Amino acid sequence: MSQFFMSILIIVFGGFLSLILARQFKLMKMVAVFSLSAGCFWGLFDAVTKLMQSGSDAASFKYLNVFSLAFQIDGLSAFFLVVIFAVCLVAVIYSFHYMDHSGEAVRTAVHYFFFSILIASMALVVTAANMITFMLSWEIMSLSSFFLVIYNYESSENRKAGYLYFVFSHVGAMFIFAAFGIVYGYTGSFGFGAMDSIPETAKIVVFIFSFIGFGSKAGVFPFHVWLPHAHPAAPSHISAVMSGVMIKIGIYGIVKMYTLLNFHTPLFGNIVLVAGVVSGILGVVYALGQHDLKRLLAYHSVENIGIILIGLGIGMIGVSSGNPLMAVLGFSGGFLHVLNHSIFKSVLFMGAGMVLHKTGTRTIDALGGLLKKMKITGATFIIGSLAICGLPPFNGFVSEFFIYIGGFKGIGLENSAFVMSIFAIISLAVIGGLALACFTKVVGVVFQGEPRTKAAVNVDEKGSTMLASMLILAGACIFIGIFPGAFIQMSIKAVSALGLGYGHVPLEPFGQMTANITFAAMVFLVSLLVVIAIRWFYYRGKTITKSGTWGCGFTQPTAKMQYTGSSYAASILEFFSPAAPLDEDHPKIKGRFPEKTYYKSHVNDIAELNMKGVIVNPVLFIFDKLRWIQHGDIHLYIGYILLAIVLLLFFI
Amino acid sequence: MIESIILWLLAILLAPFFSAIMFKVKAFFGGRKGSPLLINYYTLIKLFKKGSVYSTSTTAVFKLGPIISFTSAITVLMFLPIAGHHPIFSFNGDVIFILYLMGLGRFFTIAAAMDTASPFEGMGAAREAYFPIICEAAMFMILIFFYRLTGHLQLSAYFTGDNTIALWNLGGAPLLFIVISFFIILLTENSRVPVDDPATHLELTMIHEVMVLDHSGPDLGLIELGSFCKLFFYSTIVSRLILPFDFKISAMGYFVFVLGLIIVYVAIGLTESVIARYRMDKVPQFVLTSFALAFFATIITLEFI
Amino acid sequence: MILHPVDTILSLVLLSVLFSFGSSRLPGLIKVLAFQGIVVSMVPFFIGHDMNGGGIVFTFVTLLIRGIIIPMSIYIAIKKVAIKREVEPIIGYHASILCGLGLIVAATYISRQLNIVSISDYKLLFPTAIALLVAGMFLLMARRNAIAMVLGYIMMENGIYLVGTTISIRARHIVEFGILLDVLAGVMIMAIILQNIKRTFDDVDTANLRTLKE
Repeated sequence: MSQFFMSILIIVFGGFLSLILARQFKLMKMVAVFSLSAGCFWGLFDAVTKLMQSGSDAASFKYLNVFSLAFQIDGLSAFFLVVIFAVCLVAVIYSFHYMDHSGEAVRTAVHYFFFSILIASMALVVTAANMITFMLSWEIMSLSSFFLVIYNYESSENRKAGYLYFVFSHVGAMFIFAAFGIVYGYTGSFGFGAMDSIPETAKIVVFIFSFIGFGSKAGVFPFHVWLPHAHPAAPSHISAVMSGVMIKIGIYGIVKMYTLLNFHTPLFGNIVLVAGVVSGILGVVYALGQHDLKRLLAYHSVENIGIILIGLGIGMIGVSSGNPLMAVLGFSGGFLHVLNHSIFKSVLFMGAGMVLHKTGTRTIDALGGLLKKMKITGATFIIGSLAICGLPPFNGFVSEFFIYIGGFKGIGLENSAFVMSIFAIISLAVIGGLALACFTKVVGVVFQGEPRTKAAVNVDEKGSTMLASMLILAGACIFIGIFPGAFIQMSIKAVSALGLGYGHVPLEPFGQMTANITFAAMVFLVSLLVVIAIRWFYYRGKTITKSGTWGCGFTQPTAKMQYTGSSYAASILEFFSPAAPLDEDHPKIKGRFPEKTYYKSHVNDIAELNMKGVIVNPVLFIFDKLRWIQHGDIHLYIGYILLAIVLLLFFI
Repeated sequence: MIESIILWLLAILLAPFFSAIMFKVKAFFGGRKGSPLLINYYTLIKLFKKGSVYSTSTTAVFKLGPIISFTSAITVLMFLPIAGHHPIFSFNGDVIFILYLMGLGRFFTIAAAMDTASPFEGMGAAREAYFPIICEAAMFMILIFFYRLTGHLQLSAYFTGDNTIALWNLGGAPLLFIVISFFIILLTENSRVPVDDPATHLELTMIHEVMVLDHSGPDLGLIELGSFCKLFFYSTIVSRLILPFDFKISAMGYFVFVLGLIIVYVAIGLTESVIARYRMDKVPQFVLTSFALAFFATIITLEFI
Repeated sequence: MILHPVDTILSLVLLSVLFSFGSSRLPGLIKVLAFQGIVVSMVPFFIGHDMNGGGIVFTFVTLLIRGIIIPMSIYIAIKKVAIKREVEPIIGYHASILCGLGLIVAATYISRQLNIVSISDYKLLFPTAIALLVAGMFLLMARRNAIAMVLGYIMMENGIYLVGTTISIRARHIVEFGILLDVLAGVMIMAIILQNIKRTFDDVDTANLRTLKE
């Protein structure tokens, strides 16, 4: 445990140092990046060792003589620690060249400070062993990330995003508090251990409350509204950390509650699976309709959280219907997807960050042809896209494969488990297809073709640390995709820490499956090499000419005539129009020589659309009625304080 | 094993021939004599002899497109039981791998099309990205059906030896729907009429053909050969489903298999001759029918088993 | 078990439900319904209880009316009179197909709940019958075009006929009741056609008058 605390200390210390050195821009950056990455590396090393030895480690401190702060690292926390430290390590390295506005030295220093706090608090959340510790770290995590979201506070849009995030994370925290409160009401202790002794109905309520609370952090539909606003607002490496890691802490919370409650009703599995299916499909549909590159990626986080929840849901159904293989497949697939998503989503956000950094725009339809100038960024972005679509031989495929196999195990069952499994498999297939459509759109419109505006013409990709971190992550995508063995073992270790009552989970069938994946990937790669050889053979000594694209008879094509992202997605969006209503704005074209015209479209998120009517307006109505409390008279306010103190004394 | 490899090679080599049968049927219905049965080989040889012209807009992805789509097509064939024989490779869950591998091929075909900056190719790409989504759902529905019947998740458990007969015994009437559903998927995935008309002259209305407009020479040859292989893959499965018989004498087995293939290709030709292409917005409904059929078959099997 | 005739036929009936939900034009819908009528009327042949001479003739007549005469008359009627060919859906085709699947699942579930003993030999019979009833109702609800609504009614009637065959192995009168409903449907069709002819001719008249004015 001391190793873990040392790494946390180094990270936080680095954050403080950056505040002290705020005047020296270069030095501050170097010190901050060095100490943060050193801390992350140490923590990563420690977490991997702990996970592989599958030991459990605990420590506790007294705080204010009343509460004890308790920490524990078991397989599950170690797995999430690996994810946290691995992605943060790369994100910190990336930030070195990304944060290059020396005029904003103080702001950068503050950003490093909050970044270090965010990493530390995330690590503390997953190791927390009682409610007080958990909520304390949880709140620190929410607050530090809030300050990172409003990094560019000048723009009102970002302030609004930060505000939305603030509200959502605190309403979510309120639900978690409520859940913990119910537990405390029954057990009278802040410890996690006594949670499985509460009555079953209370367990259901606690689970649903905590699912809403953690789900709002994880970005589960319909609690995801903050996510597409907040993620694009932050600097890109922070978006990567938030999208790749922080929302997974919500997943950790859901799994942790499931484990602690130790109540294996089919209801939990069904709730989680249905939420997963809805977030998965709607997340990717909304992503398809976005025009902002980072918003699009943010919606894909909703989608991938959906996939993870489908995996977990299959696992829970497997547990409740007494099918150990299905349970382990579902859970380990879900956990592996947590790791995989954190990797490829970080690549994608970093690639988007590079694009934003060099072109100054996030609008997809303003870009084009970037692959020619930004070879490494483009290549890593394409690898990330292939991985997020779940295509072999990349890492996304491995975790989806596990979830699929788990789902098919459920097909052999009866009644609701059977129906739910059908539901899960079909929606996974649809999500896969939609993700493919979405990322061919992004890759095709942003990186290929010809530049659509001036912003995309003169670009380069300088910044060695940025390129290096993207290459590391893209390499990881390929490596996990071809040799998933060790990573699957890691996720199975995490599953066995859930204490599902199967004792030691046998690794043998999974070893066979990973061997199959490796084998199939190898078969594909060997045939790829053969085909490349054949192609090379046929192109020996041939004349290769360059010429313009065939315009189907039209001789004056311009870059403006290219297919845009909006038109690319239009027909698919129309299919989903009941769930994703499209607002269009364009004037009618009149006359033989029409004036310059425009076209605007916006896909409405039904959660966002209905949030106003269902929640915001009634709440405003109630608060309106309470406005008389705010009278403006200072004596009255002192009176309120007096009243509050008297009441408190009365109750205590 | 040796036999499987020979069959695999034969499949790649003979796929263009079977496609020519389809053209012959269409020519017959059009009142023409039609091109010779070896026409596809002549075309391929011609293409492989040529050099290439590349658009100045393109990048390396454009060259990767044909390579990866062809590789995925022939890799998929390695997992396919041909004429009831064991495939070269097979493992539990290989069907999922196959489906996603085809997805990989599609990703690169689309990416190569978007690479040319041509509005027409973008249009084709958008359609290519759209329709297979529903197809994939239908495919997985069929897989669910097969899994429910056999408890396996690999192609060899459905289509080798007397497994297919067993499938009919277990499934009965609902399998008919699976055959129709699969045939619809075949038409959609291989861009045949009524989803897409490969023979049309207007780029605006094409799906697959417009995406490969800028490819030339051996690259185009790889694409063509890849699409023949893809059609062969689907046709083999349908052929095995409609003639599931297993014979002790292997020559008889091959004969029946080839007969089944010819029936399938003739059926495709017939469909192309008698049905007009659907309007683009009607296509999703057509593909949805295949999903509905597969779903429906699964519901009925719930009754039977 | 391989290709049991009754189950195969009933699968085709269910299939025709799905197709009817997906068809956007009246002629197509009529063809689907004609197919459904023929197939539904064929069921008694294969169930094979008391298929004596009278029974065979009786079934043949039903087949003739249900599968040929009614669809033909509607078809001819819409050919002669200019009625809109679109079925004018209130619920879209994609949604309709998915609804159809849901209806079939629901029908299967309901028929299992009811669990009628006498028909347990043919597992698909009762679910199909209920599915037809519900699907006909759905067509009535979800299509604006009057003819499409009549076709929905005919589909319901097919369902009633199937229920009749399931229960009335001896009780013929329910089948006769089916015929009665056929006639009723015929009357309804005629009424609508007459009304349409009237309206169309009115339309034609006014158009003619306007051309005269110019």
